[in-house]
Amino acid sequence: MDEAQGLQAEQVPQEPVKSIEQIDAADLVVGILADLPQDSVAELCNSLQTLQGNPRIVVLQSFPATVSTTAASSSQAPSISLLPWALEGQNLSSAPLETVSNAYNSIVTVSEKIGARGCCLVVSRLESPPSRWICQLTGPLLDGTSDFVAPRYAFRKFEGLLNSSIISPLTRSLYGRRVQNPMGPDFGLSQQLFHTFLSGGAQNGDRSSGVNMLAALVPRVACGNFRLSQAYLGARTFPPADWTIVSALLSQVLGPIFLAMEKNAACWQKARNSTPVKTLNDPTPVPQTTANVEIGHLVNSFQLGVRDLQEIWSLVLPPATLLELRKLSRLAPEQFRLPDDLWARIVYDFALAHRLRTINRDHLLRSLTPLYLGWVASYAREMETSDSLAAEQRLERLAVAFEAGKPYLVSRWRWPDRFNP
Amino acid sequence: MWQQVKQALDQSATGFVTRFAALLPGFVALVVAILISILLAWIVGVVVRRALIGIQFDERLGRWGFSSAAEWSPGRSPTLLVSTVVTCGIILTGALIGIAAFNSDITSSLVRSIFAYVPNMIGAFFVLVIGTIVARFVARSVLIGAVNLNLSYARLLSMGTKWMVIVLTIAMALVHLRIAPGIVELAFGILFGGIVFSLALAVGLGSSEIVSKQLERDTKKVASPEMVEEPFRHL
Repeated sequence: MDEAQGLQAEQVPQEPVKSIEQIDAADLVVGILADLPQDSVAELCNSLQTLQGNPRIVVLQSFPATVSTTAASSSQAPSISLLPWALEGQNLSSAPLETVSNAYNSIVTVSEKIGARGCCLVVSRLESPPSRWICQLTGPLLDGTSDFVAPRYAFRKFEGLLNSSIISPLTRSLYGRRVQNPMGPDFGLSQQLFHTFLSGGAQNGDRSSGVNMLAALVPRVACGNFRLSQAYLGARTFPPADWTIVSALLSQVLGPIFLAMEKNAACWQKARNSTPVKTLNDPTPVPQTTANVEIGHLVNSFQLGVRDLQEIWSLVLPPATLLELRKLSRLAPEQFRLPDDLWARIVYDFALAHRLRTINRDHLLRSLTPLYLGWVASYAREMETSDSLAAEQRLERLAVAFEAGKPYLVSRWRWPDRFNP
Repeated sequence: MWQQVKQALDQSATGFVTRFAALLPGFVALVVAILISILLAWIVGVVVRRALIGIQFDERLGRWGFSSAAEWSPGRSPTLLVSTVVTCGIILTGALIGIAAFNSDITSSLVRSIFAYVPNMIGAFFVLVIGTIVARFVARSVLIGAVNLNLSYARLLSMGTKWMVIVLTIAMALVHLRIAPGIVELAFGILFGGIVFSLALAVGLGSSEIVSKQLERDTKKVASPEMVEEPFRHL
């Protein structure tokens, strides 16, 4: 930390650059949306200086409470300008997806304007220091080996459950790319990619159709055959969990994913079998807890859903699925297990109902909550004493089940009225 | 005597035929009016249906949060519902205009009073339709929200909310139709108050279950300190 502070002190310029308007050209734009401590920001800037090719870098920081302005200028080192970044309506805690999406829109616009070769956004607070990952996230964009760098976070078995249960296996099954975190949020984008986004986005209706940019990134990369890689970023630090907002979270996150799915239907219906994605650096192992897990309340939520939400689920799920759910609801918590193929079909049916607007979309996504909590209970029961490798293998089996169920989705998507098992 | 009876019969027969003949143009006008209104209704119905399909009315209605309107529309299509209502309205109007063509005092005043009442009927109809849609929407929101909050009386709460909105809607529609407004207001007050009171009782009694569950959970935690709840992270 002392070293980092020392570096920051060295980098304070005599005549700092005060706004982005004063920058006429740069090679890389890095946006920091996370509330990082100043020493981490300094370390991040310092690490960016080690990038090959002496690139000119602009770092935009959205929490510039204590920072005035910093810029490094030396004959050998690449130049870095650290600027405050004003984002409208920024609220990472109440509307994370919208805020991050707006930040991406803002950063690609800035990058396009100053002709940057790449841009990236740092949204998460990470446990490992920036020196370990920032170059992996940005370097491939500058040396032209990758158009899109997605994050891989250190795997803790009970973290990122929405991603593990729905987002990642669904993306893999649909677009055929094994991306661990399709919704990032810490991504790196090449000029070619964000240029396509800016020029084609409006035409293709990305903005007008309400598709969130964060949800549209991986589909665009996969469907546009852009070069994709992943970088290990280490473990993330999370805000405290709040049970009451799971339904709001599902609605906020899955809505844009299902919208992107609708928009890219022609692309994903052609995709067959998934392929692994190149990973750039080595993973950092994180300790796993093996304590007993209390899942009674999760199973209760599931049972309550099966009892009271039949009327709504019957509009979305086929009778065979409803029957299986009723059988599951009669099991004791210690025997409770939601089969992978059933879960995959449920997610596909909800995606289809979202497309067909069978019921109000917000109602639809919120009514998925008891089923999702049922999956969490089932997964937690299976994994409570397992290590990270076993958990990864478990999620791999789930992803394979999603892939195996894709023909079911394609059939229902094409003939929703005719194919209803 | 016979001559006088014959004369009276002739006069009444002439009167009857004269009055019947006077009614004939009215009948013809009624038939023509109905035929024209059927033709007009069919044309307007087709135009309305095509226009609504053109603006994707069904999808828009779903996007505006009224997707439940499709559930009780004919053929699950609100477009069809609207065009049918417009068609029937035009035919009904044509029939009333036809009746007015009889030009007698009774039919004229009847038609006038019916026409004067039509705005109330239309208003009441819209109040009922919107009220029913809102009731279903609110009931569903309450049901999903309550289930997600783990409330065991979610269905009761949803049902109560739905009936509160429906009772309010019916009362508003009846007041609009000017049918026994005094009784309606009184009945509405009693019914609405009754529903709120029974819901309050049910929720109050149901809360004891939540409190006892929470206490039970806390006791378990104290009894077995090695049982640590796993912190699940969803994002």
